[in-house]
Amino acid sequence: MNIVVCCKQVPDPEAPPASFKIDAAANKVAPAPGVNQVISPFDEQAIEAALRIKDGQESTVRVISMGTDLVSDVVKKPLAMGADELYLIQDEALNDGDGISTAYALATAIKKIGEYDLIICGRQAADWDVGQTGVGIAEELGIACVTVAKKVEVVDGKVRVERVVADGYEVVEVPLPAVVTVSNELGEPRYATLKGIMGAAKKQATVMSAADIGADTAKTGKAGAKSKLLKLYIPVREGKCEMIEAEDPAEAGALLAQKLREAKVL
Amino acid sequence: MDFELNETQLMVRTMVKDFAEKEVAPTAREDDINETFPTEILKKMAALGLMGAPIPEEYGGMGLDWLSYGIMIEELGYQSQAVCSTVRAHISLGAQSILQWGSDEQKKKYLPDMAAGKILSGFVTTEPNVGSDIAGIECMAVDDGDSWILNGTKTWCTNGSNADIVIVIAQTDKSLKGRGLGAFIIPTDSKGYSAHAMHGKMGLRSSDSSEIALEDCRIPKENLIGKIGEGFKVAMSAFDRTRYCVAAGAVGALQQCVDASAKYVADRVQFGKQLGQFQLVQEMISEMRVECEAARLLVYRAGCLKEAGKPNTIETSMAKWYSTEAAFRGANNAIQVHGSYGYTNEYPLERILRDVKACTILEGTSQMHKLIIGRDTTGIAAF
Ligand SMILES: Cc1cc2nc3c(=O)[nH]c(=O)nc-3n(C[C@H](O)[C@H](O)[C@H](O)COP(=O)(O)OP(=O)(O)OC[C@H]3O[C@@H](n4cnc5c(N)ncnc54)[C@H](O)[C@@H]3O)c2cc1C
Repeated sequence: MNIVVCCKQVPDPEAPPASFKIDAAANKVAPAPGVNQVISPFDEQAIEAALRIKDGQESTVRVISMGTDLVSDVVKKPLAMGADELYLIQDEALNDGDGISTAYALATAIKKIGEYDLIICGRQAADWDVGQTGVGIAEELGIACVTVAKKVEVVDGKVRVERVVADGYEVVEVPLPAVVTVSNELGEPRYATLKGIMGAAKKQATVMSAADIGADTAKTGKAGAKSKLLKLYIPVREGKCEMIEAEDPAEAGALLAQKLREAKVL
Repeated sequence: MDFELNETQLMVRTMVKDFAEKEVAPTAREDDINETFPTEILKKMAALGLMGAPIPEEYGGMGLDWLSYGIMIEELGYQSQAVCSTVRAHISLGAQSILQWGSDEQKKKYLPDMAAGKILSGFVTTEPNVGSDIAGIECMAVDDGDSWILNGTKTWCTNGSNADIVIVIAQTDKSLKGRGLGAFIIPTDSKGYSAHAMHGKMGLRSSDSSEIALEDCRIPKENLIGKIGEGFKVAMSAFDRTRYCVAAGAVGALQQCVDASAKYVADRVQFGKQLGQFQLVQEMISEMRVECEAARLLVYRAGCLKEAGKPNTIETSMAKWYSTEAAFRGANNAIQVHGSYGYTNEYPLERILRDVKACTILEGTSQMHKLIIGRDTTGIAAF
């Protein structure tokens, strides 16, 4: 099995909101210098999904990370978890894209680096939470896509996916090659091991530019973006507290339920 | 001079931090209250290769460099000094003593299982009458043909009740004092070996400290590490390593104090202001942070010297003394910053205070380190 996993480096989503500033003129988010870079958590789950398949059957797991400020100890984490190869797609012409242009660049890179049976992505990236990349890659490659997976198995040349829906999950089977996007319901990603870290330190990532992957730069990055960000702002949150007065707890409960229903919380 | 950590060191930091946050922190408080030995945590650490981190690959370890190893201990120490103490006793007192002084057979026999966490080890010099002055060891080892017979009482043996092997420093000839000492590998299932866990410690409560009775405990001849007369050196070189680990763990504890305090003073409001807006409160936090950075640099320098194979006894002594005392001051101040909340075990700070107090005593008391540094500085031994 040739598995490709797309991993995006993002500012740590666990960092306190106050450490992010908005550059209104450029419509960009600027994290404070102290904020660590991490692999987007859903993408770590994508790695985990790939490694679970690799645990059960002979597979090669190739990881692609795209970006220009990649931090080597961050993007190498998938290798330390057990992935086999790392490809870094680095080019200014690929920056500031939207879901469509990013998917185009990644799909182009995937075709370039070799055979693929299964492509796994996180359901969305923890920085912009758009969630178009996985489906976009499938569209570019003209293959099937299953989203929000909680379990991914390869059975008889097909990929069987437990897909999260509102009140449970559904089981979907599609032929390979296919794209699957995974959700947090997949479970905790495994830790990097010391052996993996020592191995990762010895491995060199393959660095590729837009030209190396054969991408048409009119379709990548900002130039290829189909959507336009109009306004970026931090919403003002207001907290209001209302005390419910009642004769006894039962009445208070009923009144509270009524209020919550009025506020459309229930 | 280069203050940047390399890729491996950074990856080790991220990995152990993540592990300690998810696997060590959640039970640290309960384990402290109940004096629970962290068996499950050790198993999980073994699966990630941490129990043999600095042991060379040829003996089943991971071949981690000294600085990475220090960082690993620092991150464990951020969450739990008790886990730190268990791990450093096993790796740096136990396994690395065999690595440095053991025969090829001993290395092959013990190290792979030790690195895999299948064999847990301890190491003991201390006796009821012997603490800082280890040349005065009274526990006796007698040559009996193809075996050694050991008799005596040891105390404060970290891991003593949970270990599979304990390295015991014992005397073979009282008249020779330090030059008569030998280091012996005692399998804990040997007849004549018994360990009793000590209870009621102020801190490091989930780390196992045991008293050991050796009563005609017979072990094979080949269980002597190195030669008779080298026991003192085996102990001193072991201390050079564990002192480094104690120091690294204390840096982790101190960083926890800094982070917890910085967070608390942003949230807590008194007199209509965040605590952080009071200068006297900021002073405590600034002091803590500078001491933490200073301690870290002392530790990392000692680690770099070890990695380069250069003499580092004095530098390690400095790191150990300064870090542990700074961590104690820092924990004291962090409790102060948290007021009455810091005085309860809802926060980890009072545990850190109790735990790092031990670190100023074990592996050479702060006074002994001052004497070592003083002797090196003045050329005059004051002990
Ligand atoms: C939690 C814990 C775990 C431990 N684990 C181990 C272990 O795994 N293996 C092991 O062998 N031991 C272990 N020890 C024992 C530890 O190494 C000793 O406690 C330490 O060496 C000090 O000895 P002591 O407690 O007997 O104090 P003493 O040596 O009796 O010292 C008492 C006081 O006198 C001071 N003092 C002593 N001599 C001098 C001098 N010449 N000049 C100035 N001041 C002096 C000391 O600084 C101290 O303040 C552990 C101890 C603790 C608390």
